Amino acid sequence: MANLSQSTASRLARRVGDRGPVREFLMFSLTGELYGVELTRIKEILSPPPITTVPRAPREVIGICSVRGLLVTVMDLRRKLSLVERPLTRRARILLGEAESGEVIGLLVDEVRHVVRLASTEIEPAASALGGDVSEFVLGIGRPAGEFLILLDLLSIVSG
Amino acid sequence: MAELSDKAREEFFSEAQEIIETLSRNLLSLDQSIKAGSTDPSLINEAFRAVHTLKGLAGLFGAVRLGALSHRLEDVLDDLRLGRIELAQDVLDVLFGAVEAYTRILQAEKADSDEDLDVEHLFGELDRIGASATQPESPVAGYELDPGLLAVLTEYEEHRLRANIDLQMQLYRLRVQFDLATIDKVLEDMKERAKRHGEIITYLPTGEATSADTIELDLLMASRDDLATLIGSLGADNVVVEEIPRRARRSAAASVSQGTMPPRSPTALGRPDSVAMAPSGERAGLEQTASLRSLTQTVRVDIRKLDHLMNIVGELAIVRSAFGRIAEKLRGEGQRKLAAELQRLHRNFDRRLGEMQDGILEVRMVPLGQVFDRLARVVRQISREVGKEIRLVITGAETEIDKLIVEELSDPLMHMIRNAIDHGIEVGQRRVEVGKPLAGTIALNAFQKGNHVMIEVEDDGRGIDLQGLTEKAITLGKLSRSEAQELSRDETLALIFLPGLSTRESADDVSGRGVGMDIVKTNISKLGGVIDVHSETGIGTKMTITLPITLAIVSALLVQAGKHTLAIPLSSVSEAIAFEEAAVRLVDGREVITLRGQTLPLCRLDRLMNLESASEVAPRRRFVVVAALGQRRLGLVVDFLYGQEDIVIKPLGKSLNAVRGFAGATELGDQRVGLVLDAAGLIEEVLAGVDAPRTLERASG
Repeated sequence: MANLSQSTASRLARRVGDRGPVREFLMFSLTGELYGVELTRIKEILSPPPITTVPRAPREVIGICSVRGLLVTVMDLRRKLSLVERPLTRRARILLGEAESGEVIGLLVDEVRHVVRLASTEIEPAASALGGDVSEFVLGIGRPAGEFLILLDLLSIVSG
Repeated sequence: MAELSDKAREEFFSEAQEIIETLSRNLLSLDQSIKAGSTDPSLINEAFRAVHTLKGLAGLFGAVRLGALSHRLEDVLDDLRLGRIELAQDVLDVLFGAVEAYTRILQAEKADSDEDLDVEHLFGELDRIGASATQPESPVAGYELDPGLLAVLTEYEEHRLRANIDLQMQLYRLRVQFDLATIDKVLEDMKERAKRHGEIITYLPTGEATSADTIELDLLMASRDDLATLIGSLGADNVVVEEIPRRARRSAAASVSQGTMPPRSPTALGRPDSVAMAPSGERAGLEQTASLRSLTQTVRVDIRKLDHLMNIVGELAIVRSAFGRIAEKLRGEGQRKLAAELQRLHRNFDRRLGEMQDGILEVRMVPLGQVFDRLARVVRQISREVGKEIRLVITGAETEIDKLIVEELSDPLMHMIRNAIDHGIEVGQRRVEVGKPLAGTIALNAFQKGNHVMIEVEDDGRGIDLQGLTEKAITLGKLSRSEAQELSRDETLALIFLPGLSTRESADDVSGRGVGMDIVKTNISKLGGVIDVHSETGIGTKMTITLPITLAIVSALLVQAGKHTLAIPLSSVSEAIAFEEAAVRLVDGREVITLRGQTLPLCRLDRLMNLESASEVAPRRRFVVVAALGQRRLGLVVDFLYGQEDIVIKPLGKSLNAVRGFAGATELGDQRVGLVLDAAGLIEEVLAGVDAPRTLERASG
C-alpha cells in the first residue's frame, strides 16, 4: 500500500508541478472536526473487532484486540487529544499505525472520509495557524478546497 | 568479524556451538570408555574431525582465537588418533579444559569483546602434551606411505587400510593413465577386476597427466597376491603396478617424508587446468570443502519465525470458525446439501490446522540431552575437584521440551547437581562405613507426563538434615521456634528454598557461590514450572522439577471476574474451591479464609482490578482459585470457573508495559481476547508489606 501511494504521490507531484510535492492524507472525523494523517503512516483501516478493556491501563487506552493473531493496543484518539467523547456509531473505524518501538497501535476514530492530496503550499504550519497553544501531535493545517483539516503526526501519537 | 552479515555470524556461532557440543559428547564417551578400560578409536577420530571443521570455520570467519585453539587441539587429537600419545585422564582433563575455553572464546567473539581469555595456560598444556608424542604404533606407519596420502583418506578408507594391513595384505600402488572421456567406466572396470585380488582403497590424481585429455591416478590397493600376479592381471600399457615396501622399523621416523609415492598435493590440486574436469579431481576437491559443511542435516531457525507461523495458525483458526458459521447459516436457510459439504470441509480444515499447530510446536522442541551433556561435563569436573567419585546416570535424555525452556534450564540444574555432589554425596570413606558403594550416584531422569516434562535430580547421599535446616532458618530469623514446631515434614524441607539457607555451615568453593535454592526456584517459576523436594535421611534426596512442555502453549484455568474472562496459568494454581462469604474473616484489615487449617489471604479480583461487574446482583455462587508460588499462597475470588484450556500467551504491547498484574493476553476464539493473569505478580503485589495501603485505584493515569 505504501508503495502504491508513493507512486501515486509522485505522479501527482509531476502533474501539479509548480505547487511543490504532493502528500496524501487520510481524512477522518472526530467529534465533528476533520483530521488528517499521512496515508503512508497507516498500515490498515479496520472495523472495530471486539475490544477487551485492560484494567489499570492508561486512560487513553481503550483496550486490546486481535488483528489476525496480532495483539493490538487500541487507543481512543479523542481521549488522546482531550476531546469530548461521543457514543460510537457503526461508522467508527480503527486506524492501525506503527509506533517507533515497532508496536502496532490502533487508533479509534469516528468515521473515515477519504484521501486528500495536499501540496506543501496547501499546508499551513500549526504554530502560525493556531497560535502557540498547539498539541504536540499537530503537524499543521490543511486547506483543501475550502475545508479545514487538522493534520496529525501519527508516529508521535502512537509512540507517545 | 564486524564486516560479516548478522545472519552469517549467527550461522557461524550456532554451527561452532554445535561442533563444540559434539566434541564435548565425544570426550564424555571417551571418558566413559577409558573408565571401562578401553578406548574407541572412532571417538577420537570424530573429535579430531570436529576440531578440524571448527578450525576451517574459524579461518573462514576470521575468528583468530578460535583458530589458534583449534589448531593446537587438532594437533593433539591427531597425535591421539594416530596413537602417538596415550589417552590418559590428565590428557582428557586438558581436552575438557579446551571445551570450556571454546565456550568462553565463543562468548567473547559473540560479544565482539577483546578481553583476555586467559587461555595461555591451556595452550601451554596442549603444547606440553603435543611434545610428549612418541613414535606411532599404528600399523599403517609400517609402510612407506606418503603422509600426504594418509592425510586425505576418508574415515572409511583409513579404516579399510588398517583392516587390510591387519589382515597381512600387501599394499600396491597402481599408477594409471585414464582417458578423461571414459574414466568413469574404465575405473569401475578396473575396480571390478581388482576385486579378485583384493581391494582398491583409494585413488588420487597425481597431477602428472601427459596430455589435456588424460588424467593420471594413483590407486592404493591391498592384495594378498604377489606383484607378478597383479601385473599379469591388471597390468597394461597405461597401468604401472608397484609394491609399497614395508618400512624398516627403526628408520621409520626418519623417512616419513620420503615415501615412495610422489607427494600428491599441492601439485595435483595446484594444476586445475589438467584435473579440474576430471571426476576424481573434483572428488578430491569436494572432500576438502565437505568438511566446511554442516555436520547435520538440520535447518536452524530463529524461534521468532516459529512464533510468526504460530500467529498465522491463529489467524487460520479464525477463518475456520467463519467457515463453521457460514455452514450453520446455510443450514438455517435450507441449503442442506451445501451446508453439509461445507461442514465436511470445515472438519477437514480443522484437523489439518491442528496437525499444523502440532507440527510447529514440534519444531520448537529439542531433546533435553542438549543440556544433560553439559551437566555431565560439570559432574565430571566437580567430582574431580572435590575428590568424590560420582556415577552419573542419565535417563530420558531424548525427552523433548521447548527450546526456550532448555536454554533457561542449564543454570538451575547445574546448581542442583552441584548441591547434590557437595552437600548430598558423602565422602568416599564415610560411604563405605555406612555400607554404600564408594562411588556416589546422581541420577538425572527426564520423562513426559501429560503436558508436562518432569526432570528429577536424585542422589544417594546423606539426605537433607531437617534439624540443621530448621535451626538455620530460626537463626536467620525466617521463622520462630514455635512456628518451626508446627511445620510438617514437607514444609520443613521446603525451607531450603528460602533465601540464604544452606545446610552446611561453611560456604565453599563448589556450592557456596551465593546462588541458593531460592534462585533455582525462582528461575524454575519463571518458566512456569515448580520444584518439589523429597529427602530421606541417610538414603538420599530427590528434587523434581515439573515444567510445561512449551512456553508457546500453556494450560490455563479460564475464569470470569466481573465482565472479564481471565486466564490463570495452571502452573500457578494449586486448587479451586467454592467461596463462602460467611467464612471470610478479617486479620490485620485483610480478608482471609481458613483452608484445611491454614490461613489463606484473599484477593477479590474485581475490586483489586476495579472490574465492572457483569450484573447488578452479585453471583450467588463464587469460587476461590488458590494461586501458589513457592510457600506463598493467595486466594483469588472469581465469579465463575469455565474450566481448563490450552492457550497461547502473547505479551501485551510495549505501551502497556507499566500495567501490572497481567502476563499477557490470549485469543479466546470468536475473535475475543482474554487477559492472562500474572499470578506471581499478583501474589507479590497483594502480600507485599502488610502495612502498605491497598490501592484500589488504577495504577496509572
